[in-house]
Amino acid sequence: MEPLETFIVESTVPEEGDAYKSIVADVITELMLGGAIGRIKVRVRPEESLFLMAIILRGSQPKVKVSDMGSVDVTNHLTKEVTISIEQEKYLPELLEQLWAKYGRAGIRQPERKTLILTVEELDEEVEFLRNLVVADPQKTLQSRLVEMAIRATPEGFRVRYHSMDKHVFVFAATEDILKKEWIQEAQDIATELQEDE
Amino acid sequence: MAAVLEPYIYEGGIHQHTLITELLEDLGGYLIQKVPAATEVTLVMLIPRDDVHLIEELGKKLLGKLERAPLTGTEIAVVSPTLASHHLPHSACDVAEFMRRGGGNTNMIGLARGMGRRVSLSDNYERKLINEHDLAVFSFGTFADCIKNKKPKLLEGVTVPKIVAGGPHDIKTEEVVGADLYVGGIGRVAHRLRKPGELSSLDNLLEKVVEVVEKMREDLAKDPLAVLPPRVMKEIHEQIPEIFDVFSPAPVTLQLDGLRVKLPYDEFHERVENLEFDEGVRLSDMATITKSRMKNYILVKIKRESEVGFST
Repeated sequence: MEPLETFIVESTVPEEGDAYKSIVADVITELMLGGAIGRIKVRVRPEESLFLMAIILRGSQPKVKVSDMGSVDVTNHLTKEVTISIEQEKYLPELLEQLWAKYGRAGIRQPERKTLILTVEELDEEVEFLRNLVVADPQKTLQSRLVEMAIRATPEGFRVRYHSMDKHVFVFAATEDILKKEWIQEAQDIATELQEDE
Repeated sequence: MAAVLEPYIYEGGIHQHTLITELLEDLGGYLIQKVPAATEVTLVMLIPRDDVHLIEELGKKLLGKLERAPLTGTEIAVVSPTLASHHLPHSACDVAEFMRRGGGNTNMIGLARGMGRRVSLSDNYERKLINEHDLAVFSFGTFADCIKNKKPKLLEGVTVPKIVAGGPHDIKTEEVVGADLYVGGIGRVAHRLRKPGELSSLDNLLEKVVEVVEKMREDLAKDPLAVLPPRVMKEIHEQIPEIFDVFSPAPVTLQLDGLRVKLPYDEFHERVENLEFDEGVRLSDMATITKSRMKNYILVKIKRESEVGFST
């Protein structure tokens, strides 16, 4: 699936749909979601105060563990010193935050940018734990970014919202009245329709 | 008969710009606002019509630019149903920017509960605040259905001229109940307006606003004000020196029929009421002075000559 291979915004008045497409495109660019979205379809019916959106995401990204971004080694058995050598700096801030929370700021030494040294009690156990520590979950941040995008793209007053995320299908509906079941179903149908294009 | 004053904006280097302000004072014009920015300065002023060429010549010598700014001396409310941070930048911001380029002072007003269709509301306080301005520009978004059927309720209770800006081009003013004018091409967008089509829409809006203001000035000229707002401003500068300690970019904001003095009401309203004029009258004889709904400022609305019986 190409990024944004389908990008449709429908409205009761076609020109207004085009104008709204520019808003959605701006929001996608701003949240850097262009690469993550494969197909997107938005349906706006202002006279019913209704906003529907369905998104098919391109392949999912795996969770990032410490072992994916660097190596964890015992550098001094006597003082029980463990060194983490970072190769990918991208998630370093998240890693540091987690380590600080567990070992305290004073417990982590960072003699230079890509090296972290810490002293632990149980060597083997801790090394194993550190290697498998989940630093970042792109899927999770992607979901929160998608929700953020949906909220930004929705007309401001439509505060009654529904969203669901099933693997790579994101469905969103918003209105200012009580959400009808058939509207959510309509949004699900749009998603199914988008999937059938494959 | 006082000289007819013409509104102009001068943009040039800060070096020797005081020559301009001195000349302006000698000619009997008024400096409304001075905005220094690093090595540049922007002067908003009212120049006697017959002497504009003198300022123009001096400006040329100083390598500056003098342009007519028809909205000078007006305070415009730019009203948006919402100014939510997650929708920034708002197109209303660009609207306000263009009004300022025309010489006007603008205030952005985001309604607390203006968003939505059925749920959209305006508060009594907000309506009174909008009514303190000369005119209001409302930004109503992209959808024709909302602009025609749902949003006009926000115009109710607003007594100043109301100009509505929206996305669709094909809506007529009569279709927007309560609006004095509808201008299309300015809907909701999530970026700054900078494409040629968007900019020409803003130019068009500015043009229309200028027309409305000119009409209001004409109406005002039929029964003129007892005293010109810039004259009051000059007296405030001379008699209440504390005004120079105010950090606001326009400590005294001119309106077509009054002014907003950005000093605390409780402390200063008596001094504003007692402003003396050479003719031997006080400001309270010619104007109503009230507490503004904006912060704690003082709002001066000048009475008409017919009401007061004299003019200064």
